[in-house]
Order: sequence, then structure tokens, then C-alpha cells
Amino acid sequence: MAPKSSPPAASNVVHSLWKAYSDQTSDRMKFIDAFLVFLMLSGVAQFLYCVLVTDYPFNAFLAGFSSNVGQFVLTASLRSQVNPENKNEFKEVSPERAFADFALGSIVLHFFVYNFLG
Amino acid sequence: MVYLRSLLFLIAGFATGLNAKSSTGDSVLVIVEPKQQDNYSLFLNGLKKQGYDLTFRAPKAEAPVVIEYDDPTFAHVILLASENKVFAKDITPQSLVELLGKKTNLIIALSPKQTPLSSLAAEFSLTLPPPGTPLISYFPKREGPPSVIPVSVPATHSILSENLHPVWFSGVPHSLGNNPLLVPILRAPAESFAAETDGGSPDALVDAAERGGEGLWAGSQLGLVTGFQTLDGSRVTWVGGAAIFSDEYATKEVSKGVPSGNLQFARDVAKWTFQESNVLRIDRTTHNLVNSTKSLEQYTTNDQIVYSAYISKYDSKTSTWAPYSGIKDLQLEFTMLDPHIRTALLPVPGVPGKYSAAFRAPDRHGVFKFLINYKRKGLTSLQSSTTVAVVPPRHDGYPRFLSAAWPYYTGAISTSVAFFLFSAMWLAGDSHEKRAKGHKAE
Repeated sequence: MAPKSSPPAASNVVHSLWKAYSDQTSDRMKFIDAFLVFLMLSGVAQFLYCVLVTDYPFNAFLAGFSSNVGQFVLTASLRSQVNPENKNEFKEVSPERAFADFALGSIVLHFFVYNFLG
Repeated sequence: MVYLRSLLFLIAGFATGLNAKSSTGDSVLVIVEPKQQDNYSLFLNGLKKQGYDLTFRAPKAEAPVVIEYDDPTFAHVILLASENKVFAKDITPQSLVELLGKKTNLIIALSPKQTPLSSLAAEFSLTLPPPGTPLISYFPKREGPPSVIPVSVPATHSILSENLHPVWFSGVPHSLGNNPLLVPILRAPAESFAAETDGGSPDALVDAAERGGEGLWAGSQLGLVTGFQTLDGSRVTWVGGAAIFSDEYATKEVSKGVPSGNLQFARDVAKWTFQESNVLRIDRTTHNLVNSTKSLEQYTTNDQIVYSAYISKYDSKTSTWAPYSGIKDLQLEFTMLDPHIRTALLPVPGVPGKYSAAFRAPDRHGVFKFLINYKRKGLTSLQSSTTVAVVPPRHDGYPRFLSAAWPYYTGAISTSVAFFLFSAMWLAGDSHEKRAKGHKAE
């Protein structure tokens, strides 16, 4: 992201950051980001439930929480690989290949999660 | 006199049943001086009539030996030769103890004289007064020497018949140690005491009393007839004087018209010692889960377990074992080093001889034992031990789909659903973009 030429007022930082993000990010990246936010919120909710209410059964917590974390990591790597700005770093990885890796990794992850959940 | 004797015989025969037999064997060795043998004819003939197989042996006779090839020759031994100082070489305190270890039962009579047997009594926690000091009492007022004493018998005693007439006693008393295996049967009258009459010295008595630290041999804490049940279950009865079994005392009236209780008393003592009365056994034990009948070798923590024991009592009248539900204070322990559970094992109403307890296995895995350890004075000690393993639940033995875990389930499922939606929309967007690109190119 390109820095702004003149520093905005402190109250406007968030607003300008949001504006810059919505102006300069492609729809695809925004779509991935929305998914990431969903995963993060879901993970936070489970962690709070574990801390505040109960960690029993602990294996279910580990499965639910790690499915969020794992999915987040996989989606984040998909995002960095399909981002046009990173084209030079992932020359040999086409967006299709990146998505195939992501899908395979996710399916394996979910397989383990459901085994561990019960 | 003869008439009275035969009458007593009849009464004794009817009261005890004629074919009563012991639970451990019928052969009895009676060690008695041949010329004194007839003094005990009422008692001994009574035993014979019940079906015991009596063998007589003089104290110094070499045969028959009590232990041959490490095997006891007789099931029971009565030692009435209380005044002998010298016995045949196979009758020693050591061999008598060995006999007890081999499940032979003994009745041993003591006397005021110092014999090998009086030193053996000390090994059974019975402390005898010094030699020559029998028990005497001047009450109640009666004819005859003060050393021949009528002793009233406790009205209810687990070994003796109810409401026995007083028994005549003459002999030596003993004070009881605190050995839990002792079973007091007959206590001395409160006004009696041990005193030197026939050749004992008063100084020796005072010295011994001071050394013993328990005061003079006097009063009702003294024992006259005391049983001892070994850890193996064999029984030995120490009798202060052999005369308690004699015909003379059996036929001697306690007061005008009241016969003595000696014969029935001797019969009851022999009955207990020879494993006829108060003999229990555990036939079998079972354990299983509640609502199941299959016996498992291992249980899971927190299982509901039912344990049952079947207990029989020996009935000497019919020589059979009959189910017995009369024990009220039986306990079951579920132990791993320490009892994790100790619970009452109560008789099951309607099922004779069955005792049962249900309990929850502790939340602790390991090798546990069901233990019954029932030791009561005068009763056969009951012991049983069954080893089982208590294991944690198997991987699929835990409860599943708990309501507390629904947030986690929702989290995992929503992640999967979101992944599929994301993938579908990603691919749809891909083709959409390509189409848009294609339009542009055209």
C-alpha cells in the first residue's frame, strides 16, 4: 500500500486506512479478507468460550479452534500467492495451482478436525 | 448312682443328637493315664456316641504318634493328663503347636503343678499363677474343700448352650493377655482367687504377682476355660483343670435337686473346639455389573458393581453345610493398597446365605481387590480376596456429543461450510472474470 503524502489527523487514521484499503484492494482480495475476518472472529469466540465457560471436552475445543487457525493459515497463504502484487515472488505458482494447494490442504485439515472433534 | 448316670446319658444323647460329627474329621486321640480313663467316661462315651472315633494313649506310651511323616494322625487331640511332667518324646509343646498349624484341634487341661504344658500356655497369652496355687473360693457356703468351686455360666454365650446350670471347677486359673485370638469361655467367680494350698508358697505368689504387674490372680477377670483360634482356623481350648470333664463333677449336684452343668458344658466346649459349632465358610463369591450377570475381569472407572458372597454354616446335626444369613456386620472392602471403598455386605432377603453389596467403582484406575476379612471371637474367620483390574474408559467409551461442546462443533462445522462456500464462490468468480476478460479481448 502506498503511503499518503500528507499525514492525516489522528481521528482520521482509521477512516483513511479503510478508504485506502477499499480503493486499492481488488475484489478478490477483499473476498479473501472477509473470509479471514470470519475465521478470526470464530476462533476468538471459541477461545473466549473455553476460557470463560468450559474447556471440557478439551479435544473438541482443540479441534474447533485449530480448524479455525489452520484454515486461517491456509487462506492467508492463498491470499499471498494469488495477490498480483506478489507476482514476482511466486513466479512458478499460478493462481490455479495456489487454489488447488489451498483446497487440498483444507480438505486434509478438515479430515483431521472431524476425527478429533468427537 | 448308676441309675442317675444312665439318665444323664440319655438326656445328653437326646440334647445333642446322636450322630453329630465334626466338620474336619472324626478321629480323636485322648491322652490320659489308663487308670484315670474311667473318671471321664461320661464325657468320652458321649463323644463316642456322637460318632467320634476315640483312640486312647497313655502319656508315656510311644504309639500312636501324633504326627507321622509330617502328617497329623488325628483330627483332634484331648490332653487330659494334666499332671504329668514327662510325656512321650513326640508330645512336646513344639509338636502341639505344629499340630495346630496342621489344622488339628486341641483340648488341653492344665493343673496347679508345673508341667511343660503350663509353660506352653504362656505362648497363648495365658498367664498362670506360680505352681501350687489353685483357684479357691469360700463362697457360696458349701460342704467340701474350698478349691472345688461351682462356677455360674454366662446365660448367653455364642459357644455354650443357653441357661446352663453352674459347673463344678477345680484347678488353676489364668489371666488373659490382650491377644485378639483368645475366646474367653468360662470366667472365674468374682469372689475367687488363686492361693497356695498344696505345697505352693505365698511368697512366690506375691513375687509373681508383682513381676506380672497385674496384681494377684483374683476376681472375675480370670479365665478358667479359654479358647484360642489360630490364624489357620484350628482351635485349642485351655481348661484350668481336667476335673471339669470328670464323672464325679458331672453327677455332683450344685444344690439340692439341681444337677451340675458340667456334662453339657464339656459337650459344648468339645463341640466348639472340634469344629462342630460356629464354623462358617465362604462357598463362592461373584461380582458383576449392575443389571448384568456376566462376571468381568476388568471394570471401568465409575462402573456400578455388584459383589455377592455365599456363606454357609456347618450343621453338625446333619453333617452338612447350610446357607447362613445370620451375619449382620459383614463388610466388603474394595482396595488398592488402601480400601477405596468399605461398605456393608448385607444379607439378601429371600436368598439364604447370600450377602450382597452394590457400589460405584472409584474414579481411579489400577489393580483392585474385593476383600472380605471377617474375624470375630469364636467364629471361623472368613477371608476372601478377588483381584480385578479397574481401567479408564476406552477411546470410544467416553460420552459423546456433549451439550457443553456445541460451540466447538458449531465452530468446526461453520468453518467447513464457509470453506466450501468460499471455494464455490472463488471458482464462480474465476470463470466470471475469464468471461469478462474474454469479452474485453473481443
